[in-house]
Amino acid sequence: MVEVRLERVSKRFGRVVAVNNVNLQFPDGKFSALLGPSGSGKSTILYLIAGIYKPTLGKILFGDRDVTELPPKDRNVGLVFQNYALYPHMTVYDNIAFPLRLKKIDENAINDKVNNVSKLLRIQDLLERYPHQLSGGQQQRVALARALVKEPEVLLLDEPLSNLDALLRLTIRAEIKRLQQKLEITAIHVTHDQAEAMSMADYIAVIDRGSVQQVGSPWEVYNKPRNLFVATFMGSPPSNVLPGRIVRENGIWIDVGGSMVKPPERMVELLRESELDDVIVAFRPEHASIVKEPEEGYISIPAEVFVTEPLGRESIVTAMVGGSSVKVLMPPEAEFKPGESVYIQIQPDKLMLFDPITELNIEVARPGKS
Amino acid sequence: MASSILSRMFRRKAKPKVEQLRDVETIKRRRLNAVIGIAVGLATLPLVALYLLLALSSFADRIVTGPDIIEAEYSTTNWKLLFQGKLEPAAGRLYDLRELIMIIVNTFIVALGVTVAVVLISVMAGYAFSRMKFRGRVGLMEFIILLHAFPGVALIIAVYAIYVWSLGAVPKDVLTEYRFLYTILARASLEIPMSIWLMKGFFDRIPWEVEWSAMVDGASRIRVWRQIVLPQIKPGIAAISIFAFLAGWEDLIYVHVFLYTGGIKTLATFLEEVIGNIETTYLPIAAAAGTLYLIPTIVFFVLTQKLLLEAMSGGVKA
Repeated sequence: MVEVRLERVSKRFGRVVAVNNVNLQFPDGKFSALLGPSGSGKSTILYLIAGIYKPTLGKILFGDRDVTELPPKDRNVGLVFQNYALYPHMTVYDNIAFPLRLKKIDENAINDKVNNVSKLLRIQDLLERYPHQLSGGQQQRVALARALVKEPEVLLLDEPLSNLDALLRLTIRAEIKRLQQKLEITAIHVTHDQAEAMSMADYIAVIDRGSVQQVGSPWEVYNKPRNLFVATFMGSPPSNVLPGRIVRENGIWIDVGGSMVKPPERMVELLRESELDDVIVAFRPEHASIVKEPEEGYISIPAEVFVTEPLGRESIVTAMVGGSSVKVLMPPEAEFKPGESVYIQIQPDKLMLFDPITELNIEVARPGKS
Repeated sequence: MASSILSRMFRRKAKPKVEQLRDVETIKRRRLNAVIGIAVGLATLPLVALYLLLALSSFADRIVTGPDIIEAEYSTTNWKLLFQGKLEPAAGRLYDLRELIMIIVNTFIVALGVTVAVVLISVMAGYAFSRMKFRGRVGLMEFIILLHAFPGVALIIAVYAIYVWSLGAVPKDVLTEYRFLYTILARASLEIPMSIWLMKGFFDRIPWEVEWSAMVDGASRIRVWRQIVLPQIKPGIAAISIFAFLAGWEDLIYVHVFLYTGGIKTLATFLEEVIGNIETTYLPIAAAAGTLYLIPTIVFFVLTQKLLLEAMSGGVKA
């Protein structure tokens, strides 16, 4: 369909900077996610693309077409909102037909198109009903049908799953993904749910405080977080973070909560070059385990068990290191008593280090050093 | 002393009462319904009773107020006399049927005129206050509430002064029309403040997303307003229409000052004439006139009631 590009786009509301100098590219025919906490500016970016907001600075391009100054009706985008935003005084049929009627299309053609798209979304039996007679999932399908019926170049989804219950969310999630692939439409999906972004998107752009934190495939964003924000935002539970102090005696060591840790070989050079005195040590809960005696080949930190939460498939063990808590995923049969002295054992290749001031990942963020 | 009494009281209260386990919500709901039913009944019964007595009296040979309901003789004489222009069975004709119809038409002109003015202005102003950001918006809204606090009577001198001042610019041959227009606008301006607030409330209930959605679907701002927003605020329009219509229909002061003095009568001033001197008036005919005055109000309310109660929910999750 079309590629969407944002070039140095900023949006200010009075004194508040909602979007700050954003450069983004949403590839043609791919499913992209804008992921960030509430208030991060991700929805604002989506509304800028839709034309509901006008950028304070910068340019928005659909392919070669500069749409920065175009009103929403001339952009040919489909937009689905979290609250469905159906027209309550119209039937489902009229809701879906609304964008077509505005285009003054012949009523027979409208009928065909509405029927096709309702078959695609399996709502053909609901056409005579009013929105308030539908369940949440059905209403969301109608909203999708209305967005798709005009064959938009770009499909914009603003947290479309947030108002649905957990089970339905999984179904519609798969359905949207299937539709997007079938239609090969450029889709941009705004969400605060990192699992949703991971499972649906080909590309994820992580947004915080109006700025792009990282862009990449779900794998990259999860495994190679560019900064501390991305590391602690992605994953459930998110990455563990421990403050460390760098000790430059007999090589390079990191003092984590009173115990000396030897950084993995690949990081030694980076640390030596940097003038850092402090460093933030991070690792994912599934990349560590809790053991009674430290083993060779791992990074081990002494800790004290705080609580064990069994989740059926696995257990989350929370342990204290110095004053910080650390969550580790363990097999369900693992049993630890609160107060027990244990070791947290981290896989050295999965360890991440962040500059405490810039919060950048020392491996990923340094140009030419990754 | 006091503390020991208190503690004894509390001890008694703290004693566990043996109570059957019941569904908490339904009990409350049922009790609430009963309370509301009784309260609404007590509040409206006296009024309803008085209106019923008035309507009944219009068919009786006397004003019925109680046990005399049984003794009174009923006929349509009062109504016949009213339409013949006789305000007493023995009196001569004061007006003919054509004149009475003109009075009713005049009343409708004022009431509907006020309705149209109020609806047009408050729907647009309400939308602006709900949706648009402009300098002084909050201050203006507070000022509007203040305006609503002024009683119409208090303003009449100033409104009259402006009327007299404006008369200079009005050609003589459209004076009657101008009197109507002035009455309608003056009366409407008293209703508009509250109506703006009501309409703003209705607009506030429509999420921005619905409007955005329609714009993305290809509609212009005006079309969104007409095809998406307006149909959703129909109950609000019905509400302010009723209030505005009743305000115009019931108004006595403004129609008296600007119309009656020019020889144009409405039902309110007609009723004022009919009753005239309450001690010498033949009251059953006055009752018929009063009932006549009530009918359109009731009809109008019955017609719009469905719209008022129409629940426009769903399709948008707030």
